Amino acid sequence: MASSTPSHPVPPSLSLPPSQFARLQPHAYLLAHLSPPAASNQPSLRANGRAASQFRVTSANAGSLTHTNGSAVVRIGDTAAVCGVRAEILHTDDIASWSVSQASSEQNTDKKPEEGDTDSQDKEDRAHIQDLNLLVPNLSLSTGCAPGFTPGAAPSALAQSLSHQLLSLLHSTRLVQADDLRIWYQPPNLEAEALGEQMDVDSEGSGNPAREIKAFWVLYIDVMIISLAGNPFDAAWASVLAALRDTKLPKAWWDADNETILCSDDIADAQKLSLRGLPIASSFCSFEADAAAGWRAVVIPDAEEQKAQEQKQKKQGMQQRWILADPDGYEEGLSQERACVVVDKENDGKGNTVIVKMEKHGGWGLDADDMRQLVDVSARRWDEMKRILDQC
Amino acid sequence: MVGPTTSLSQLNRADGSASYKCPATGYNILGAVNAPVELPGRRDALKPEEATVEVFVKPGTTTAGVGERYVEGILRSVLGKVVLGREKGFPRRGVVLTLAIVGGENIERGDSYLTILPALLHAGLLAMMSASVPLSMTFAATLLCVTKSGDIVRDPSPTAAKAAVSLHVFAISSKSHLLLNESEGRFDFDTWELARQHALSICQGASDSSDGDVSMSEGKDGSLNGFIREAVEDQIYSDYAYKLDSI
Amino acid sequence: MSTPLVLLPSDEVPRDHLPANNSNPLRLGPGLRILSQPSSKSADSKHVLTATQAGLLTTDAKKNTVSLLSFPNRRYIPTVNDFVIAQIHHSSADFFHCMVTPHTAHALLGQLSFEGASKKTRPMLKQGELVYARVLSVGVGAGAEVELTCVSPSTGKAEGGMGPLAGGMVFDISTGMAGRLIRANSSSAETDEIEGLVVLSELGKKLESSGGFELAVGRNGKVWVNCSDSEENAIRATVAIGRCLQETDQKNLHPHDQKKLVTKILREMKLA
Repeated sequence: MASSTPSHPVPPSLSLPPSQFARLQPHAYLLAHLSPPAASNQPSLRANGRAASQFRVTSANAGSLTHTNGSAVVRIGDTAAVCGVRAEILHTDDIASWSVSQASSEQNTDKKPEEGDTDSQDKEDRAHIQDLNLLVPNLSLSTGCAPGFTPGAAPSALAQSLSHQLLSLLHSTRLVQADDLRIWYQPPNLEAEALGEQMDVDSEGSGNPAREIKAFWVLYIDVMIISLAGNPFDAAWASVLAALRDTKLPKAWWDADNETILCSDDIADAQKLSLRGLPIASSFCSFEADAAAGWRAVVIPDAEEQKAQEQKQKKQGMQQRWILADPDGYEEGLSQERACVVVDKENDGKGNTVIVKMEKHGGWGLDADDMRQLVDVSARRWDEMKRILDQC
Repeated sequence: MVGPTTSLSQLNRADGSASYKCPATGYNILGAVNAPVELPGRRDALKPEEATVEVFVKPGTTTAGVGERYVEGILRSVLGKVVLGREKGFPRRGVVLTLAIVGGENIERGDSYLTILPALLHAGLLAMMSASVPLSMTFAATLLCVTKSGDIVRDPSPTAAKAAVSLHVFAISSKSHLLLNESEGRFDFDTWELARQHALSICQGASDSSDGDVSMSEGKDGSLNGFIREAVEDQIYSDYAYKLDSI
Repeated sequence: MSTPLVLLPSDEVPRDHLPANNSNPLRLGPGLRILSQPSSKSADSKHVLTATQAGLLTTDAKKNTVSLLSFPNRRYIPTVNDFVIAQIHHSSADFFHCMVTPHTAHALLGQLSFEGASKKTRPMLKQGELVYARVLSVGVGAGAEVELTCVSPSTGKAEGGMGPLAGGMVFDISTGMAGRLIRANSSSAETDEIEGLVVLSELGKKLESSGGFELAVGRNGKVWVNCSDSEENAIRATVAIGRCLQETDQKNLHPHDQKKLVTKILREMKLA
């Protein structure tokens, strides 16, 4: 279709307006923007006016939904995601396997108390959040968010796969601490009360009965993509992050007399979640100059040869491949190879860059060097996103 | 370490099939390919000049959920790039791959799907070859985990994978391209690069002699690509035994 | 002939495996394609043959062909001039719509493409009936329709037994087996040996007394069997032949075992 690609931009005499050219020859249109003729002295820009590694204008707004515990709207260019976090109480009495799992985990902690503190805490966090499904993200692509999303259709494969990516990233980054979601009960020390004022200061710790978990908060994280113009994952994840940062859980306690959980309606008592880090997702796609590269009757070179070839062509000023950051819908339709990097920075941005998730598939263009560059680009994006999220 | 086992063309009714079993991770996958077939009711969604690759992943004991949709998407993008969908008889038709998880630990909701991904990729590739779907290249995939002490362990068991600091899946083509990478956990780029080189030597059997822990039990040269080649050769030799006998 | 060579997708065909005969153009079979290798030094590009499927490389020095024998279980892709057994699905004004392989678009068979057919004499085939036909064209471009014919385009005669198949039964076999049967049938006893198929000649010998049988092999993995014996015997013999072929195919039997199988099945069916 777009195999023969004119490498010069549209001559002015052509009667087609650019918008129609973009529809008829999408590949050639984008290629012409990215590789302007050397004589024209124009910079290589994408059809949407951005440089290759430039992200779209991003804005975030938190707390706009009043009936949720936390909410956020994130807009990346024309892709907009709304996220609402709703907290519900899950009684431990309602968890079928609770008493069993509790007994076994207590045994475990008794056995090896000297093991690293964070280690066992990690394990317990995972056990509670993951096994009890305390985080329930769900993403829906709303009707009309892009052409082709008709009312009443079942959740598309894209929506389902995005839901899974959100959940799996929430789990693997351990963003939410299980302790924030636990509702404890400290039984009163009846013996001590009976003894009255004779109670000693040192006997306090040992005499108290162990405090127990009475309930959990379950966070229902609902994301709705209200407008889809490419790169839904970055927008969805940023909205989840902003909404969780905005989430306040009311103070809750076990009322022994009524045998129920009570919540305080005082906003001052409500607690924010303490999140672990700030993982930021950046997605990329790779646009190939030769749309037919994959199937044309040419020997696909070895990885080494390909690298050498590309470098040679680069020297000659013939770039064959562009890595486009934050692709919009038009660019996503023109490339098969995708990459996504999620990074975090330790110590609130002052420490090292940590990669939390990295994925690439759909082609063989991107190699290790490209991935290294993508991590650097993502690290810069982290600073930008942190600023935006801090302001919202 | 015991290497993986596989057998091709087990199913009679499918155009191609393969089973792949990896004892280290415990997964057992049965894949079937039907190609080229008509995809009813999708004529508008089909690409006009290419074959459409469809992948279905069926868990052994439950119904498919969001995790399966996600992994199907990954498999579709990897295999879709490798399949030569413009060869004769394939344009506008579908290449339908069904992968059933026959054995191994169940993947619960929200669990990482990376542990099973290499087995799915291998079963899918072998089934594609068994159905004689034209491919531009073959590949091999491996799962690596980085433990707390910083060691890179190949094909960890599901429990070891849960305890790992980071998990990496790499698929390396027969021409050393990086076809797929899925990594999660906490790691820096140098660790990733180390894991990638490790994966390269596992898949290609490169001269990585300093590494003692890579077992050499699979193919002729110990690589996963060699293992795939041997599996295919064995099946072809047995299918054409009548021809080879007479030579 | 050199040692058997198995190629995987993207493997190059070594030059020393190609037939040396240069008088005829080299013909490529399925599973191979010619690729140009962009040369790094000069403008002239080299050409290499690479495999796109996994298979056994075979060459024929006489015909100057090189082809790749892939897995026998593969799906049949219509190719011009192949004999196929098609089943009528429905008929329209000009065409019979036939099924050649499952889950693919119907192939078209002209109402008049039968020997001596005119508007009045054309066969009235109903749904489910079988025809032995030849692939006339596979069309150009994506999604084109496959057209079948029951007459030879040059002579207008139904050569090679083309036409409606009356009676008998059809059995599914692998496309690889179908190819073997056709090759073994078409030429001398020498190829018969190479194809390693003695099941048919064995059956022929055993069933000769009861009137023999008719066989039509379709490249699309179907074989039609009919016996001309008295009714009950004919059905038994037909089923026995079908079973022999299917079992030989599925278990990939050695010639020695094929003979045993024939004896066993004929005894089971009370035909021997």
